[in-house]
Amino acid sequence: MKADDLQQVRPGFHDAAIGSQAVFRSALSALSHPGRVIEMPDVSELPRHGHGAAAVLLQALVDSDCSVWLSPALAGTDAAAWLRFHTGCHWAAAPATARFLWVAEGDALPALATLDAGTDEYPDQSATCVVDLQALEAKGADALALTGPGIASEQSLCASGLPGDFVDQWDTNHRRFPRGVDLFLATPTHIAGLPRSTRIRAAQTAVEA
Amino acid sequence: MFHAFDNTGPNRPTPRPEWMALLSRAPLPLLEQALSAQAGTSLQWLRKPETGLYMVQGRAGGTGQRFNLGEMTVTRCALRVGGEDSAVGVAYVMGRNHRQAQLAAVADALLQDPARHDALDGALLQPVRQHLALQQAQRAARAQSTQVDFFTVARESGTPDEGDDE
Repeated sequence: MKADDLQQVRPGFHDAAIGSQAVFRSALSALSHPGRVIEMPDVSELPRHGHGAAAVLLQALVDSDCSVWLSPALAGTDAAAWLRFHTGCHWAAAPATARFLWVAEGDALPALATLDAGTDEYPDQSATCVVDLQALEAKGADALALTGPGIASEQSLCASGLPGDFVDQWDTNHRRFPRGVDLFLATPTHIAGLPRSTRIRAAQTAVEA
Repeated sequence: MFHAFDNTGPNRPTPRPEWMALLSRAPLPLLEQALSAQAGTSLQWLRKPETGLYMVQGRAGGTGQRFNLGEMTVTRCALRVGGEDSAVGVAYVMGRNHRQAQLAAVADALLQDPARHDALDGALLQPVRQHLALQQAQRAARAQSTQVDFFTVARESGTPDEGDDE
């Protein structure tokens, strides 16, 4: 990191131990209740770029062993310097080699099939992708219908900003189980988790069926 | 340890790496004394003091293969003195004293402010230079007292060739 970058860096967790545990608890809730919109606790100062909930989540999950890939709108901003300073992570050259990915709002989500899905021996060594979205609603037009472990019957999630063929991409990702990538969707204040075990249908097909 | 670059030449400003090197070796009483006026100012922590281990590496003779000399305890921190736009002070000091790391970082932040640099250079860096030079002189004197002068007795009679012929 250059000295100029350090000048841009803002503080991190108010209290590193309590803050990171509270965020980790939210991440666990999000993954154990896929598609449920969960509020991120206000435990940290935030960088100027990127969504706050995504920044705090990555600050809690990433450490110096992790390779992180940032989408073009985030790379080189103070969010990059902030994450590097507070976690000690290193940057991945390409999405395929990254353990964590952070995709800014408006940037294209890399094709899920190209990301690291882990191996059959170590499916845990797969990529986790954090996607900034404008809004997350439990209900709305173009909602996704989620089923699978952690969902009693069906969970509805309206996430605008995902690529058009997201449902097909996710279907391929789900079929690779136990391999596959996990997704966090983040607004400035809330997150929702999409673990690889979740099945997703577009809601229209649910209405027709 | 006193380093060659600790002796600043006349009219030569101290660059930041050199004053950071001085601050990392500054004893706590000197830091407290020079920065007592700054005790009340508000600090914005970027990284609170944290203690860890660093692997120190050396090279035999300064040029050979790198080897691990041993681990050493280091405390580091980063902070801003004052507002959001003020300079970031960073400190890495040997040992586990959080207060010492904090004061060294405050000094680093203030030294980056051109308006305060000269005053603090005189109040803090100069005494630290003197302290380190004194420490070095004492260590050299202690080593000097155990010095042994070896000398070789030269052969006095004739040249080796003559001796072989006889």
